[in-house]
Amino acid sequence: MNSDGWLRALAAELHRHGLDPDLARHVVAESATHLRDSGESPLQVFGPPSTYASAVAESVGAPRHTAGVGTARVDAPARAPQTAGPVRLEVRGITKRYRRRPVLAGVDLTVRAGEIAAVVGANGAGKSTFLRICAGLLSPDSGRVRVHGTLGYCPQSGGTADFLHPEEHFVLVGAGRGLNRTQARAAGRAHAAALDWEPAGRTQARHLSGGTRQKLNLVMAALGEPDVLLLDEPYQGFDRGTYLDFWQQLWRWRGDGRAIVVVTHLLNQLDRVDTVLDLTPAREMSA
Amino acid sequence: MLRQLAGCATFFAVDQERRGQWLRGVLDLCVLALLHRRESYGYELAQSLDASGIGPIQGGTLYPVLLRLQRTGLVSAQWREGASGPARKYYRITPAGADTLRRTAVDWDAFARGVETVLREVQTR
Amino acid sequence: MTKIWTVAELALREVVRRRGVLLILLVFPLAFYASRRDDHAGQSIRFVCLGLSWALSTAALFAGSAARGIEPRLRLSGYRAHHLHLGRLLALWTVGAALSVPYFLLVRFDQDDVRYGAIALIMALTVATAVPFGLALSAILPRELEGTLVLLIVVGLQMVLDPADTAARALPFWFSREIGTYAIDHTDSGYLARGLVHGVVLTLTLTTLVATASGIRLRQRRHLSFE
Repeated sequence: MNSDGWLRALAAELHRHGLDPDLARHVVAESATHLRDSGESPLQVFGPPSTYASAVAESVGAPRHTAGVGTARVDAPARAPQTAGPVRLEVRGITKRYRRRPVLAGVDLTVRAGEIAAVVGANGAGKSTFLRICAGLLSPDSGRVRVHGTLGYCPQSGGTADFLHPEEHFVLVGAGRGLNRTQARAAGRAHAAALDWEPAGRTQARHLSGGTRQKLNLVMAALGEPDVLLLDEPYQGFDRGTYLDFWQQLWRWRGDGRAIVVVTHLLNQLDRVDTVLDLTPAREMSA
Repeated sequence: MLRQLAGCATFFAVDQERRGQWLRGVLDLCVLALLHRRESYGYELAQSLDASGIGPIQGGTLYPVLLRLQRTGLVSAQWREGASGPARKYYRITPAGADTLRRTAVDWDAFARGVETVLREVQTR
Repeated sequence: MTKIWTVAELALREVVRRRGVLLILLVFPLAFYASRRDDHAGQSIRFVCLGLSWALSTAALFAGSAARGIEPRLRLSGYRAHHLHLGRLLALWTVGAALSVPYFLLVRFDQDDVRYGAIALIMALTVATAVPFGLALSAILPRELEGTLVLLIVVGLQMVLDPADTAARALPFWFSREIGTYAIDHTDSGYLARGLVHGVVLTLTLTTLVATASGIRLRQRRHLSFE
């Protein structure tokens, strides 16, 4: 790893540790000066960015969010017991069949402001179908969905315009939400920064990497601060660091009083959410 | 002060792990002592520590110590252009830091003398 | 209004960035024109108009298909169905107008003894109809391939069928042949009137069809309610 790459990684790790931005900038600048003076390799002088960032965070007494290297587990910030607010999403008795195969049979879910609900289940258990029904993109055979407020939806893939730049996507979605161009760009950039992504530039969406396109997708869903966020495995293609950022962002949104439904198959996050909806059919569970 | 550093200098033959343990106990003191002479920046401190025989101290060890000293108010820091080269973060010992250094240096002196007395018996036997 | 303009502007940017497609669109009618220029001057005008309609409806078909993925989520982000299809229509009409101007100038300076005003009318109606025609196909057919094949058949039939034949009137670009006869062969104004009515009715019908299809696809579903 060259110095620039190492310094960038350090900046990202410090951000991840919740270090004050000013302080983080100073730490990175000081490391850069040291590397220039000594002419040695950053790994030799400071070790891996994640390790050094942990040491720095500990020295300045920053709250620790991430656990040890190599595990994808994220510690949710401790939360006050009564942060859940009014009901934002009410799903009652959703039933859906494909051909004659029942996919969803009488599914209920209630999510309040300031809550995260995880939707889990095996492949083909109907997780995406359920979310599409909640978003009104698909009709169920029976059942109702009631949304108190506005809705944002992030699909598993697609949902972007191949020939437009990221900032043009912000403007497009922003206009729908009643934001003017400047506001839309600023809001998009702010959401992107939380995912450690700098969207300025004239790269068309079709040339973005898979992970970056998913970041764009996620930012589009969050733009205009909708009350309910429906996220269908939005982290596909994310590297480990971005994956951690993504969960940090979810908890921030929860703290802001958003109601969030997220499809996930990574079970080690489940004790960090408020509700778990398991769509695995009963016969498979007993198998 | 110089005696402490000279004391540190006699440790050079020991194995790495033990040396690491010793360092953890005294590195902040050594840094405070160096800053008591004059203000300095990270790379220069690392060089001074190396030159005094404490051994090469990597940035990954040194800067967290500096940050902790800064957080506890024992040193203050300021970004400044040097006489030559780029802007650097200069550290300066605070009155509280000088006070701590004075008190701890006395303690260390007693401690090190005790250790020395015991160990000298081994050496001279 | 801001919403329609935003959709129109960004749809226009999308089309303009498909450089390859644009180039083919621009060159394609020219090939039609050049192929018949030497043996029959009038025929080359008829061909360039049909080439233009084929090129534009294909562009609209592709633009419509490309928008399918993003439109449902734009609908969720506060757009109504009419914002989306009106914006896209505006963008494609603009592209069509820009594309047809050089061809009108070509006919204007390359051909003699032709009613130029009628040629301009053909081109205007071509732009007006081809765009909703392509968008309607993209709304009805599942994939671009099917749409392209349908377009190929329609334009092929349009070329071979005699405009005097009643069945030919069912084809979308019949007005082009009818007004073409008026412009090139200097026939009576009945040709002009019939062609004009056909073109206008077709534009309205196709635009309504696009609006209806988009309204159905992006409708607020009954099971979902916002409070």
